Formats: sequence, structure tokens, C-alpha cells
Amino acid sequence: MNGTLTIFRREFAAYFNSPIAYIFIIAFLVLNGGLFMTSFFLQAAADLRAFFGNLPFFLIFFIPAVSMRLWAEDKRLGTFELLMTLPIRAGDVMLGKYLAALAFYLVALAGTLPLPIMVAALGNPDVGAMWSGYLGAALLGALYLAVGTFTSGLMRDQISAVILGIMACFVVFIVGVAGVAATIDGWLPGVGSFLQQYVGLSGHYDMMLRGVISLADMTYFMGMTAIFLILNTLWLEGRKY
Amino acid sequence: MIEVRDVSKSFGTMAALDRVSFSLNKGEILGFLGPNGAGKSTTMKIVTTFLAADSGSVTVDGIDVLEQPLAVRSRVGYLPENVPLYLDMNVQEYLEFVGRARGLGGARLRQRLDWCVEACGLVTEYHKPIGELSKGYKQRTGLAQALIHDPEILILDEPTSGLDPLQILGIRELIKSLAGAKTIIFSTHILQEVSPVTDRVVIINEGRIIADGRVGDLQREAMGSNRVFLGARQDAAAVSPLLEGLAGVERVEHLAADGGCRFEVRAPFGTELLGDLHRLAREQGWELNELHEAPYSLEDTFIALTKRSVRPGAQQEVV
Repeated sequence: MNGTLTIFRREFAAYFNSPIAYIFIIAFLVLNGGLFMTSFFLQAAADLRAFFGNLPFFLIFFIPAVSMRLWAEDKRLGTFELLMTLPIRAGDVMLGKYLAALAFYLVALAGTLPLPIMVAALGNPDVGAMWSGYLGAALLGALYLAVGTFTSGLMRDQISAVILGIMACFVVFIVGVAGVAATIDGWLPGVGSFLQQYVGLSGHYDMMLRGVISLADMTYFMGMTAIFLILNTLWLEGRKY
Repeated sequence: MIEVRDVSKSFGTMAALDRVSFSLNKGEILGFLGPNGAGKSTTMKIVTTFLAADSGSVTVDGIDVLEQPLAVRSRVGYLPENVPLYLDMNVQEYLEFVGRARGLGGARLRQRLDWCVEACGLVTEYHKPIGELSKGYKQRTGLAQALIHDPEILILDEPTSGLDPLQILGIRELIKSLAGAKTIIFSTHILQEVSPVTDRVVIINEGRIIADGRVGDLQREAMGSNRVFLGARQDAAAVSPLLEGLAGVERVEHLAADGGCRFEVRAPFGTELLGDLHRLAREQGWELNELHEAPYSLEDTFIALTKRSVRPGAQQEVV
């Protein structure tokens, strides 16, 4: 656990040691805020539906850009060999890195808090739905990050890592879309709806967006995240052979 | 302390190591020699648990590297060939990070930091970002990183590569100063690096160990004979048969290219070649301008051993 903490601190500091962190956060806030504001005044409804609704698609691009450096950068610098010969289990090193990226994402997400404050000032929003929306956004980011961390390990350079990450996140997103599931069902009966329910995230995320926090949806997000983190650990262990 | 037994490793279809075996006692320094791509780094990566062997076994301090990799890692300080540095950190932050990751903290960490920075000559660079350091200082930071937890075993992959002669001397002195207290393996493809630090070498070529022993013994084994250079102000044609007639002499080579009367005389180790030649010269009244033994350089040895390993069964030919 101490090892995880040491890795976490170094990785989290690494985000803020370069200007990239600030550019990321500003881009995240400006794009998200901008997208939200355009629809907010048109809709004239005091809620954050539009903001949370944009996130699954927006994060497909944002999250892999956050996670791309996690392993790929260490491979480039040669520090991967250092990390894998420290007396820390590979899984703990991975967890430290993952949690650092997650903390970075949560910092960026926390930057959007003026939005609910503004909405609350302008109208009378459903506070519960906003809370569950934020919880959903955090879980959504956690899942994409697990995917992105895993794909970062498979690649030697950051550009390939980010492209593979975007594709993987896109797949997790798109199989949950009803139309896509129906199309897949048309080719392979049952497969599309299976993927939609157990792999795709839209259905689970939409429930949270509406203010419903169910055990099934929580299990989905945490389970999928765990699966990708375990895959990452298995890759780290298997890489030796 | 370190036991490598019958270790083989291949990457895809390419065999990187082929039944490599050697062992190292506590306090010994081992020079691990071989051309680029011979398998030095792969061997070190296996000993440090970064890679796993396909077959064979490696134990460090009696601990199997596959069964208890974490226990092995905590005993080993490792400097990989590609020095693992976080360029965005400064020297202090980096060494503190590695120290903490290796379980140090508090006063112990302070004390080890001070020692490493002093020993590796990093005092002036302590607060500089690693990305701005020269190659020599980067290498020293890498070395300090390997020493931070005061490991019993040091594995250094090409610790002097890319350094200038003065820096090489510094690293060499540092390794020598650790001799006895630590068990050290260091690899290099530069032969002159070995002799000043240790006389125990393992030579690897194309994934196979081709020699293991003391430098002197290896030279004897590889070259088979001693050689003496003799130069005199005489008629070469008259000198040559007398040299060939000397008891024990295997080969006499007229070094005509050097001009005049100069010979390389070879006889098996153990014969008093130099003394015999000296006596002969005195008896004949030769006016000598050169008479000395010429020990083989490590290069000669290396080349002879490498050739032999490439053509198995050609041993007699070389001797």
C-alpha cells in the first residue's frame, strides 16, 4: 500500500509538473462549459442533463489523452524497467498510476462545479439528480481511465496509446447505444442486446443521469473498471515471459 | 550469492540466451563481457526479475527470482542500460522517490540520500532538473538510484557507457570502493574497463558463455602460448634458425614489416622463454635493441575466444 502511495504521489505530481495538466483542464472546462451553455439557454431548463449527456462522448477523447502517458511514457524513458524492479507488486504500481490519473480527472471534473451553482441560482433544479449525475460522471471517467490505462500499456508510444484508447472507449460506448445493439442483433441474434446490457455503458449511465442510483449500474461500472485493471495487471505479469 | 543455472531465453524465434550458467560469491565483482547483442542485458534483466527465463533457474542470496521476486528486488540495486530517469523531476525528488518506493523514510532516507549524493558526486546538481543534466551526471544519478537502499547486490548494465575518460575513472573508483562490501556484476563491451576493477570475468557471445574465470587464466587458455618480442642489430636470416632451434619454441615469426631483424617468438606457458632467449643472445653476442615479454591484451583473448566459440571443435586449431 505504501508503494501504491509513493507511485500515486509521483504520478499525480507529474501531471502538474508540466503545462499539459493546465491545458487539459482548461480545455476540458471550456469545451464542456461551452457545449453545455449553448443548449442550456435554448432549453431554458434548470438542470445539468445536457452537460452530463455530453460527457460519455466527450470523455472518449479526453480520458485516453489523460491516460496515454501512464505506461507509454515510462517505456520511452526506460523507467518502466525501474518500476518493474522495485520491491512493489506490479498490480500496486498499476493502481498507483491509475489512481493518480483518476485524481487528475476528478480535479478537472471539480472545476465544473460552478455549473450546478449557476443552475441553482437561476432556477430550482433537482439536486438529487445533479449528485447522481456527478457520481455517474466520476464512475464513467473511472471506467474510461481503466480502459485507457490498459491500452497505454500495450503501446510503446503515446500517440498509438491515445488512438487505441479512443477506439477502445468508443467500443465500450457504442455497443450500449440502442440502435447499434439492434443492428448487431440483426446479424447475430442476442449478441447485440447482451453487449448492450453487460458491456455498453449508455443504459447504465443514463439511469444515473436521471437521478437513479441502482446497485446494478454501480456494479456495472465498478465491475468493468475492475476487469480492465485486472487485465492490466495480467499484462504486467505476463510481459516477463 | 548469485547462481545462474542453465538459463535460456528466446524472443520469438530468436534465441537470446542458450543455457547460460555462472555463479558469484558474496563480495565478488564480476565483469560481464561481450559484444553488443551478446545477451548481457537479457541476463541482467532475468537476474533482476524484469524478465523471466524460459528455462533454467536463477537464485539471488538463495532466493529464487520467480518464486519471490519482491524479496530479490529489495536486495538488488539495478542500473539498466537505458538509464531510467524521470526528466521532469530534479535529482533530489527523483532519489527520494526511488528511496521511498524502496521502503526508506525519515532519517534513514536522509542519511542514504546524503551518502549517495556525496559518493556519486551529485552535490552541485542536487536541485537541477534531470532533463537538464549532462550525460555523465545522468549516469551518476542512475547509479545513485541503484545505491539508495544500500543493497547487498549491485547489477550495473554498462555503467560507464557514454562517459568521458575522467568520468569513467570516477565510476571505476566508486565501484572499486564498494568492493568487498557488495556483490557486483557490471557489464561492458569495452575490455579495458574490466582489468582495473576486477580480474573475474564471464564472457558471453551469441547467448552462450564462452569463458568464465580470472583474466590471466583465460588468456592462457585462449592463447595457449607465451610470446616474446626480440629485436637485434643482426642479419635476420642468421638469427631465425637459432631461435627455431631453441627448446620449447613453437613458432618464430619474422616481423619483417618493422624493418630488419625483429621476431615474435612463441612458447607454451611454463617454459622460461625470456631467460632462454636472453642466454642465447649473450652466447651469440647479439646486439639487442628489444627483448621483452608481450602479454596478450584482453582484445586478443576475446577475439580468440569468440572465434573458438563460433567454430566449435576448432579448439586445437587455435591452440
